[in-house]
Amino acid sequence: MLNNIFKVIISILLIQINMSNCNAVEPDEILNDPKQELRARKISKNIRCMVCQNQSIDDSNSSIARDFRILIRSKIQEGSEDKEIYKFLVERYGDFVLLKPPLKSNTVALWFLPFIFLVIGILVILNHNKKSN
Amino acid sequence: MAPTLGNLALWLSLVFAGSQFYNTRKKNKLKIISISVIGLLISSLFSFFLLIYLYVISDFSVLNVFQNSHTTKPLFYKITAVWGNHEGSMLLWIIVLTIFNYFIFKLYNKKNFIFVSKTLEIQSFITLGFIVFTILTSNPFERMVPVQENGLGFNPILQDPALAIHPPLLYIGYVGFSAAFSISVATLVLKNGKNFPWYKYMKPFVMVAWTFLTIGIALGSLWAYYELGWGGWWFWDPVENASFMPWLLGTALLHSLIIVDKKQSLQAWVLLLSILAFLLSVVGTFLVRSGILTSVHAFALDPTRGIYILLFIAILGGYSLMLFSSKSKIYSTKNYFNFFSKEGSILVNNIIMVVACATVLLGTIYPLLMEALTGNKISIGEPYYNSTVVPIMLPAILIMGVGPILSWGKESVLEIAKKVSSVFIITLAMTIIIFSIYKSYTFLGIAGIVLAFWIIFNNLTTLYRNKFNNLTGMVVAHLGVGFLMLGITASSIWQVEEIIKMKLKSETEINKYQIFFNEINEIKGSNYLSLRGDFLVYDKGKNIIAKLKPENRFYPVTGNFTSEASIHTNLFRDLYIVLGEGNINEGWTVRLYYNPLVVWIWIGAFTIFLGGVISINKSLKRMPK
Amino acid sequence: MKNKFLKLPIILFFIILFIFFYLLIIDRNPAKVPSALLNKNVPIFVTKTLVKNEKFSSSKEFGDQVTLVNFFATWCKPCKDEHAFIMRFSSEKNIKIVGINYKDNPKKTIEWLKKLGNPYSNVALDKNGKIAIDWGVYGIPETFIINSRGIIKYRHVGAITPKIYKKINLIIKEIE
Repeated sequence: MLNNIFKVIISILLIQINMSNCNAVEPDEILNDPKQELRARKISKNIRCMVCQNQSIDDSNSSIARDFRILIRSKIQEGSEDKEIYKFLVERYGDFVLLKPPLKSNTVALWFLPFIFLVIGILVILNHNKKSN
Repeated sequence: MAPTLGNLALWLSLVFAGSQFYNTRKKNKLKIISISVIGLLISSLFSFFLLIYLYVISDFSVLNVFQNSHTTKPLFYKITAVWGNHEGSMLLWIIVLTIFNYFIFKLYNKKNFIFVSKTLEIQSFITLGFIVFTILTSNPFERMVPVQENGLGFNPILQDPALAIHPPLLYIGYVGFSAAFSISVATLVLKNGKNFPWYKYMKPFVMVAWTFLTIGIALGSLWAYYELGWGGWWFWDPVENASFMPWLLGTALLHSLIIVDKKQSLQAWVLLLSILAFLLSVVGTFLVRSGILTSVHAFALDPTRGIYILLFIAILGGYSLMLFSSKSKIYSTKNYFNFFSKEGSILVNNIIMVVACATVLLGTIYPLLMEALTGNKISIGEPYYNSTVVPIMLPAILIMGVGPILSWGKESVLEIAKKVSSVFIITLAMTIIIFSIYKSYTFLGIAGIVLAFWIIFNNLTTLYRNKFNNLTGMVVAHLGVGFLMLGITASSIWQVEEIIKMKLKSETEINKYQIFFNEINEIKGSNYLSLRGDFLVYDKGKNIIAKLKPENRFYPVTGNFTSEASIHTNLFRDLYIVLGEGNINEGWTVRLYYNPLVVWIWIGAFTIFLGGVISINKSLKRMPK
Repeated sequence: MKNKFLKLPIILFFIILFIFFYLLIIDRNPAKVPSALLNKNVPIFVTKTLVKNEKFSSSKEFGDQVTLVNFFATWCKPCKDEHAFIMRFSSEKNIKIVGINYKDNPKKTIEWLKKLGNPYSNVALDKNGKIAIDWGVYGIPETFIINSRGIIKYRHVGAITPKIYKKINLIIKEIE
């Protein structure tokens, strides 16, 4: 009971930590082909560690993140394209697994609002600038 | 005894805050108001110091102390543990509020009685809200029976100087915006606010808040850099975003205040920004503490805390925004700027900061909105922000290089070109030099480096030309941003990483440095056990440059493992080494990072802080007497 | 003009607050993720069985009757906690129960099942966690209900509690 309370307290601390001993990519995972390894790292950085707060599998030391990394590398070695690997993971874990949400009907606002904010901003500036001349 | 006293003091501060609210509202005599203000300050400080005392003597009859402290903890961390948890940090939040409250009170003079009283009224309302919240949902003096022999300690990863002192700094930032909020609301309520120099009163508070928020964020990221073990320092975590959003608005606010002060235009805009900056600080607190983002619900904790803060935000936000929409009209002027002028450049930067802030907010709350509306869950992480916020911010940094040297009013493009031509050439030269060293080209990388040098040299020349004047604070702060940019860009595009299994007495190489794994030892720290590797670093000429000693620590009290990176820093690069798992036969996993120019991130942040401090000093001198 | 323009953000502000309020009061666990495999076919995989080390083929095991699939491991404490419920399913319900032993030692598992009782008609081995990834599993124990056409109808992450036990019973009744 007290232990649970303690966990709660820790989890609502100002700084939330979920990594104790940070060892992400292990030497035995690394592929021999540097090009393939680079691809694996790039993909890993975009895949969320499912049990972590806000970490990619590349940064996480959780065992499931390691499984993901190994899986991605074996898929690369089997000749899968990046797209296929993303698709494979999304089919099983949903869009939640992607740290960069794909553009879909439900993320249109997410991707276009910043652009719209910017346009509004530029309009405000132009409005100010024009009238002064 | 002490816990009861602490509780009593907390209740007393509630009474004083209430009386301040009542008396300022009724515009009672200054003497009565001063009793409330000083009473509030003393009683809240008293309860805070009592809590510190309870931590120092390890009084485990208090639930909060039991949960967050331990007798084996060093004294310094016993004290900082006070605000390392939710309840204690609320108390810290309250005392910072009351301290700012006191400084607002000090603004009283013969001419501003109504204005300052109104400001104090709003401020005491905010303070009341937080005291009631603390007493009702998060009382740090709550007792527990039976009394335990020892506490549960606290997360050893938090046992660190930078982390320990950064919450108070952040709170000065968040809470400082409460003063700006109160001033803004008071101004809107006033009838003749337009002709009253409210912005002169607001400026020092904003300066203080922004300066401390800056250094608070910087220390947090410095901690992340050396503690979290892979050389990263910013993760776009909701917790970080919660502090970054008010910072962005604070930056916009700070710059707009310059225009208001100079030209009396943009008043409505500043009033709005100061309201939003504080609201966002509280919204950030809500997101982090309510458990809406994290799995607090898994432990079936009741959602009262979140609902309370939400209600409070609704009252504060609802009242201030409605007030603004009905009263702001008299503050908006049809004052137009030329794009190529100081005020033009500030305006552009303002817009960019606000757009960036809106984007960060969008990214932070979008998953929540989506979950509520569609039931789907998505993640928004670093890649999203890197492809939205970063490009939005770049033009702001470009303009920052020129803005300060532009004149007020209007400037011809030719004139600007003349002013910056020499800096332009130096920037180009430096960029070519640095890229010929590092030889890795990406668009963002080149843009970042060019902008960094652009800002650095523009501000260095300004600093050199003008000697010390009333712009020095600003120039220094801008110079800091240049350093920051340099560090951020260089460390993110040229980082070299090496992850290998190393046996004792073996050797590896990273960016022209030889790393020799000399020995590994078990050592005993004050409240932890540790496995420490000794690595020798040689340069090309076989000279020993550094001994790096990364550790793997085990804290028996909480059963945590932490990994302590060992870093060798100089102005050009960090050598960063982390010891992983392993054993004598197979060797240990070792992570090595070569982080170029990374130290400039914190040199930059500190320079910004310094610039802020100089400017605070200046703005205090310009306060209406 | 400006004032009208401002009404929209204020309304938006309150809508967002209301959504936060809604999220706070509903029964929700921010750490849980809905399964992407709901109403989809069971993943196809081939592995070994625990007891006899024979071939385990998903296409043969699933799709003939309602099946409960349980990912478990002896090293996972919540798995032990929920084991009694799995036992109850096996004795009370006429369904097939398949266990998938996640990253575990087969010997230990056999002993564990001897001690606590074996509710599984068959146990498949997932030595390196690959099958778990195929199923979109991220935190064991996890439990899936599959209908007689081999389609995943329900998934629960974490130990089965009395509440979840009832829910699963209802779902089984529904799809039977």
